[in-house]
Amino acid sequence: MAQALLRRMDHSTTANGTSRRLEVSTKAVEAEIRDRADPGQVLADRVAQLYRQMPIAIAATFIAGGIATFELQGRWLQELVLLWWAIVVLFSAAASLLLYAYYRSPDKFSSAPQWLRWLGIAALSNGASWGLAGGVFFRSLSDEQQVFLAFLFAGMASVGIPVYAASWPIFALYAAGILLPFFYVLLTFGNRLFVEIALLVPLFYVINVAIAYQLTQVFHSGYRLRRAYGKLTEDHRALNRRLEKQLVELDEARRQVELSGRKLALFAERAPIAVLELQADGTVAEVNHAAEMLFGYAASELVGGPVKKLVRPEFHAEFDRTWHELLASRESMAGLKIRNPRRDGIDLICEWTVTPLVNIQHEVIAVIAQGRDITAQQEAERMKKEFTSTLSHELRTPLTSIIGSLQLINSGVMGEVDKEVGELTMVAERNGQRLLDLINDILDVEKIESGKLTFVPEPTSVNDLVREAMVLNKAFGERFKVRFEARADNEPERQVRVDRKRLLQVMTNLLSNAAKFSPEGSVVEISTEDAGPNVRIAVHDRGTGIPDAFRTRIFGRFTQADSTATRQKGGSGLGLAICKRLVELMGGQIGFQDRPGGGTSFWFELPRHSA
Amino acid sequence: MPDRPLNRICYVEDDEDIQRIVRMSLERVGKMTVAVVGDPTQAIETITEFRPDLVMLDWMMPVLDGPTLFRQMKLRPETSALPVVFITARASQRDLDELKTLGAAATISKPFSPKDLPDQLRAIWAALP
Repeated sequence: MAQALLRRMDHSTTANGTSRRLEVSTKAVEAEIRDRADPGQVLADRVAQLYRQMPIAIAATFIAGGIATFELQGRWLQELVLLWWAIVVLFSAAASLLLYAYYRSPDKFSSAPQWLRWLGIAALSNGASWGLAGGVFFRSLSDEQQVFLAFLFAGMASVGIPVYAASWPIFALYAAGILLPFFYVLLTFGNRLFVEIALLVPLFYVINVAIAYQLTQVFHSGYRLRRAYGKLTEDHRALNRRLEKQLVELDEARRQVELSGRKLALFAERAPIAVLELQADGTVAEVNHAAEMLFGYAASELVGGPVKKLVRPEFHAEFDRTWHELLASRESMAGLKIRNPRRDGIDLICEWTVTPLVNIQHEVIAVIAQGRDITAQQEAERMKKEFTSTLSHELRTPLTSIIGSLQLINSGVMGEVDKEVGELTMVAERNGQRLLDLINDILDVEKIESGKLTFVPEPTSVNDLVREAMVLNKAFGERFKVRFEARADNEPERQVRVDRKRLLQVMTNLLSNAAKFSPEGSVVEISTEDAGPNVRIAVHDRGTGIPDAFRTRIFGRFTQADSTATRQKGGSGLGLAICKRLVELMGGQIGFQDRPGGGTSFWFELPRHSA
Repeated sequence: MPDRPLNRICYVEDDEDIQRIVRMSLERVGKMTVAVVGDPTQAIETITEFRPDLVMLDWMMPVLDGPTLFRQMKLRPETSALPVVFITARASQRDLDELKTLGAAATISKPFSPKDLPDQLRAIWAALP
């Protein structure tokens, strides 16, 4: 409403404001203001005014009634006059009671229509009591008394105008109560003059009601305006309060923005990463301290110049393409690896995150570039790859010669050698093999962790797999004087879908571990059984068990229960870590538990495959 | 399966130590006749003269690597039909797949056991069409 008002006022003063337009809009404004008034409130105001006037009406009736009674008494109908006086007094008393009730009423607002109706009844009764006097007494009065009574009626009727001005229908009822019987009496008196007077009575009546109507309109309009302005003031106050609150909030927001601005500036200044603010055309607008340090330029040497100064010329075309893409998409880009020449000509490899700042019009106003020097990291990654490659080729080739030579000697095809020499060449071969195993383990871990391990899964018989693993590791077991035994040879046929070679690697690991840590002459048992939807394969040894301290990290990398065991038993300490990852990659799980009667059972489970 | 036993082998390898071990393995353990070529660029000439039953190629060699030599052999009528076994220290699955499609008989990875090598080769020989 207020906005509409303001809009309208605004319109009238700024638009081509001819005076007519202005007038029309002023009227419209008035109407709009009046419309703000609550009609219920306005009615309550009018009712309150009517009741305020009531004492005048009661007093006038009482006094005029008293005078009339005094004047008319002693005539032929004395009892009747006294009866009339009693009625006047009764009505006055009733009206006083009504007035009292109204003032005592706790809710003058919502019951205003009710109070108005009661007042109407009181006014009609009041008027009718005068009408009664006219109708009953007039005919039998002397000429002077008739003049007196006519004068009294006219007076009482006109007093009603200001008294009931706030509601013309009530005045109309009141005046009709007085004048209707009088009119009838005059008209039927049988005297020409009285008939003429009688004919004037409705005319006066109409005029009086019309005046009362006008007054009612004026009062109504006045009350509406009063209420409307009251409302307007109230609205204004509320608006002011709201504005005040908003001002406080705005001020707070401004402080917050300032604060975060300072914080951001601080972040950029002190950050260990290079931060550059660039304009949309690629001009450097600002750089932080880290950027100065990283590239060896002072801020003043970079600001105002093209950012391409920090890009090697042969990559300018690529840079332009990326920049264009960035401006077109207006989306942040991360992980951009760019070769950045330092001031001294040395290249850095930096990883950049670039974020375009866009205004409301969707225009790029700046680009924030954050760069991190990853030269060392890249070099380390390259070296790691190179190392892996070296390990796999350059170490394996000489090992092939070493182990191969020793194998040929140890196999006896080169002829008999001295017994002690033979023992030494056996030691050399075994340790060469150990070195090779270690290299293979490290390569496996590297492959698993870099996600380069490829599986060729195929349906495989669990029984076949166990048999093959036992054959493959028989010789190893014999070395430790340990025998492998499948717990039940007539196990039902079960299938799993696995990479056969990799699962054999797991089996070999578990079997060789069991052999290494079992007492001489003992039996390592292998069992297969169903475990829900899985097949569980377990290797049970009679070793000394797993020390408590070692249990939680047994499947970790480079872990062995103690380092003396490493020297005694061999192995890289990677075996179980590899087993765990291989089994998990094939959708299974691995674990161990103490074996009743001493020793440990290592097990793994794989989902059963149904053809 | 070829109707005669595996006897004549030609091995192309730049590493002299491995040459010696393979030669001893095949001659002493396997009782076979072996020709070793150290310079891969001379390989085709030697193979043509020696007329082996089977050729073993090292994967990584300077100047001319195993796969390239293999492709050259495929282009010559006198060498194109010979079964070829690769000895590798490192090969990706993709490399192995490529060799399979080129027609390599098998691959043996380093380190191999000189004790078992003759049997391995005989098994490959037996599996040939």
